Formats: sequence, structure tokens, C-alpha cells
Amino acid sequence: MEAVGLTKRYGGRTAVDEVSFSVSRGEVLGLLGPNGAGKTTAIRLLTTMLTPSSGQFRVAGVDCGKPNDIRRRIGVLPESAGYPEHHSGSEYLLYHARLFGLNRTDAAGTTERLLAEVGLADRASSAIATYSRGMRQRLGIARALVNDPAVVFFDEPTLGLDPAGQRQVLGIICDIAQRRGAAVVLSTHALTEVEDVCTSVLILRQGTVLAAGTVAEVIGTVAAQPTAQLRVPSDMIARAAESLASAPGLQLETTADTLRITLAPGGDGHVPDTNAVLRAVLDAAIPVLSFDLEGTRLSDAFLAMTSQEPR
Amino acid sequence: MSWYVVTAREWRDLWLGGRGPILMFALSILLSAITYLAATNQILNYLEQREAVNLTLQVAVAVGALVTLVVSADAISGERERATLESLLLAPVSRRAIVLGKLTAAVSLWLGAFAVAVPYLWALGRGVSALVPAMVTGLVVGTLLAVGLSAVGLLISIRSKSNKVSVSVSLFLLLALFAPTQLPTPHGAFGVFLDRLNPVAAALHYLTTVVVNGRGWTHDLSYLASSLAVALVGVPTLMILAPRIVHLVAGDHR
Ligand SMILES: Nc1ncnc2c1ncn2[C@@H]1O[C@H](COP(=O)(O)OP(=O)(O)O)[C@@H](O)[C@H]1O
Ligand SMILES: [Mg+2]
Repeated sequence: MEAVGLTKRYGGRTAVDEVSFSVSRGEVLGLLGPNGAGKTTAIRLLTTMLTPSSGQFRVAGVDCGKPNDIRRRIGVLPESAGYPEHHSGSEYLLYHARLFGLNRTDAAGTTERLLAEVGLADRASSAIATYSRGMRQRLGIARALVNDPAVVFFDEPTLGLDPAGQRQVLGIICDIAQRRGAAVVLSTHALTEVEDVCTSVLILRQGTVLAAGTVAEVIGTVAAQPTAQLRVPSDMIARAAESLASAPGLQLETTADTLRITLAPGGDGHVPDTNAVLRAVLDAAIPVLSFDLEGTRLSDAFLAMTSQEPR
Repeated sequence: MSWYVVTAREWRDLWLGGRGPILMFALSILLSAITYLAATNQILNYLEQREAVNLTLQVAVAVGALVTLVVSADAISGERERATLESLLLAPVSRRAIVLGKLTAAVSLWLGAFAVAVPYLWALGRGVSALVPAMVTGLVVGTLLAVGLSAVGLLISIRSKSNKVSVSVSLFLLLALFAPTQLPTPHGAFGVFLDRLNPVAAALHYLTTVVVNGRGWTHDLSYLASSLAVALVGVPTLMILAPRIVHLVAGDHR
């Protein structure tokens, strides 16, 4: 899938502004951004639910001028999708399989297989009204797969789920990319769980792309100095600072029970080793309560980029 | 083939999902009350038998038009509000098929209303010479109105930003169309013209001339022109425009 200069305006407001990217089979692209960044709008453009103001895209090799052909080849889990409450999970899937042109027998087979795949087989004949949020989300994923799509879109699939539910949903999404070999586009504003799933990410803010690339590349673009937060018992804080005082390239800042350590590169560009820092503290026989590295995770890069004032 | 899948689902949702049977039950209670009153009035000789048949037919047509319009007005904007429209539009089904399924399901409510009315008409009109032609006229007039109003309701639903707006605009429209039927018969050429222009008032007038006054079905046929026009313009407009105007977001454009 490929998009070039994708733009959507609502009156005077530009929800998606000149966004370009591509995703291949087996890849998972994370569309990241705070609320209102334009993730849902971008997905609705690519899934032919909205007409772009300008820009081009191809989905599963089909040009954006043929929305009907695109719809045959994609699967979509819309943001906060609704369900017919009085239908059962299997009735719902059967109907959608039939809408994609499957005959009764094939639709029934697909329904049964997908319900098992998303772990809903035992609740297949219960009314959707009795489903939990996680079950609805998994039913939605199953629905997105009835046509064995080449490209699958998930808009905030983990929204409102508990950690176990999130892990379950992300596991299914990983499987879709890896085992089915589909190209996956996944939008979210909650990053931590996505880092492990996405092969590449696109960070949006106010409709524009702030950064794109693999997770490592995006983290690299935010050239923040790595910092570490060391937490030790409060009566040990002075001794901890002392143990690090002699190490080169460290700026120390102390509060009641934490030591904030900025690892500044020396004149030769060499960044002090965080392991060495930790070892020095341990060698001084100070019990470490926690040691957090910042600036090395996607969420740090994301926060650094999206918290800047809009231009 | 997908139009058939959509239509079958819409019909099932309406008739097996609950709304249809409840509405029909409510109508049958209303008709029972009217029949009881009409029958006792007949004994007292206040209400002629043919008038009782006409009243029942008119109530069935009015209720049929009302429920058809409300269900149509809810069809697209309601799905939009319940967040079920996106998954329907994502399926490779033509927007025409979706709209057609919803239109026929809504009109089936009128047919249901008519079916409920048949036994009451039978009971009230025993011995009336032209009962069957009267019922056929009611069926034709009601179907014309239901089809036209359903198309209008769907167009309103497609264009409305919210379901509340869609349903209230449609109800207001229906009220505006029914109000003149409760006013005294207009005099003067302009009054008559206005009466014929209003599809609901004109259609009910036509029904009365056939059922009560015993005129031939061709006698006041021009009174059906406006309801025929609404159906003949509304349905093709809906079908032609559907691919371009049915969107996830009302009124989406470049
Ligand atoms: N139908 C609409 N009309 C006007 N503005 C809209 C509409 N839909 C979305 N927007 C605006 O577009 C921007 C992006 O919204 P959205 O794509 O939903 O963001 P996200 O999914 O990243 O939270 C927001 O500023 C939102 O207010
Ligand atoms: Mg969103």
C-alpha cells in the first residue's frame, strides 16, 4: 500500500496534510499521534470512507479511483465500531461474509474458523449485547478478516481494553501480519504496547507527519541526551551521588529520593555507559529501587515530538 | 446478489428483531378501539358502514405512512449514530443495494399495517357492496404514499448530521402534510389546487371519494397525481444519487 500527498480538509481545518508513506506485506505500520492528530481521518481516506481533498493512494495494488475494488481487498476495524446488539456473534460474521459474496456454506465455514481464531468460539451464539469490550473488539477483528484481506486497518484496536485484553488483541494483529502475510496499518495514541508490534511507525500531529521510519530510526531522530532516573532509599541519596561524582560526562541532579543523571557525551563524542553508572552505584553497596532510562523508548521520542508547541 | 443479502437482513431485522411486530400490535389495538366505536355508532346509525370502512382505511394508511417514514428517517443516520454504518459501507455492496434494502423493508411496514387492517375492514364492511374494490384502492393509495415518503425519509436521513435531526425533520414534514386533512374542505380554485398538491391530503381525499361517495376509481384520479409524482421522482432520485450521497460522514465532499 502506498499513499502520496494525502490531504483532507474540513472547511478551513486540515485534518490530514500531505501525508505520504508505504507499507508492504507482512509489515505493521503504526500510525501514532495524540487525539485529533488525524489518524482516523487518514484511515478513513485509505479505506474509501472519506474522499480525499487531494493526494493519491494505492491499496493492495488498486488505485484510489476504484473504491469498490479496494473494499474487496481490505479489512477494517473502525474506531469505536458499533454492533447490532441483538445479533449473535456468528450471525454477525455470517452476514458480513455473505456481503463479501461468499455462498452460505463458505460463509458458515469462514465464520466458524474466524470465531475460533479470535477466541470467541464458545460464545458464538450469544447475543453481542452480552459481549465484553474485548470480545466486541475481537469480533470486529474477525469481521475485518472475512474476505481474507491483503491490507488490514485497525483504528485504536486496544482502546479501553485491560492489559490482558490489549495483549490478546495485539497478539492477533501480529499473527495477521506474520501468518497471513497481510500489510497492517495500526493507529493508536497509546504507544508502549505498540513498540514491539510495529515494524515501522509514522508519527502524526495536527495532520502532518513528524517522523517516519522504523522504531529505532524514529527514536534516533529525537537527539535528546539520554537521561536516567535512579531511585534509592532517601537516606542513601547523598552516598549515591558521591559514588558517581568522579565519573566523567555525568550531570547529576538530586531530589528527595531520586537522582537524575544526564549522560552528556564527552569531547570525543563518547556517551558514558549506563551499565557503568549502575555498576558504580551497586559497587557502593547502595540498594537500587529503580533505574529508568529515558530517551531510548518510542514513547519518549513521541512525547518529545508531540509535546512541542504547534508551529 | 448482494442486494438480496442486504434486503433479507433489513427485513429480518425489522420483522424478527422486534420493531415491526410491536408497531403492528400497537396498530391492532388502535384499530380495535376504532372498530368498537364505529360498530356501536353504526348501531346508533350515526356512522354509515362505508364511512366506518373509510375511517379504518385512513387510519391504516396514516399509521402505515408514519411508521414507514420514521423507519426510513432512522435508516442511514441511525446506523451512523450507532456506529454500524462504517462496517456496512466497507462491504463491497453498492450504496443502491443498501438504500433499496432499507426502502423495501420500510415499505413492508405499511404492507404489514394493511394486513393488520384487513380483518377489521372485513368486520366493519360486511354487506357493503364494493368492499373489495375499496380495500384494493386503499392498498394502492397507501403503497404509493409509503413508497414516496420512504424515499423522502431516506434522503433526509442520508443528508442529516444526526439521527435526531433526521427523525424530527421527517415528523415535522408528515405533520405539515397531515394537518390540512383535518381542516374543512377548501373552497375556490386555489384551495383545491393546494389540496391536490399535498400528496397526503389528496390521496386521502381520493380514498374518500371512492369508498364513501362510491365514485368510480377513475373519477377523481387526478388527486393521485401528487403522491404518484413524489414516488416517481423520489425513488429514482434516491437510486440515482445514492452512490454519490451516501457517506459515512453526512455531506462528505472533497
Ligand atoms: N467530520 C468532521 N468535520 C470536521 N472536522 C473533523 C471531522 N472529523 C474529524 N475532524 C477533525 O479532524 C482532526 C483529526 O481528527 P481524527 O482523524 O479523528 O483524529 P485522531 O483519530 O487522530 O484522534 C480533528 O481536529 C477533528 O476535529
Ligand atoms: Mg481517532
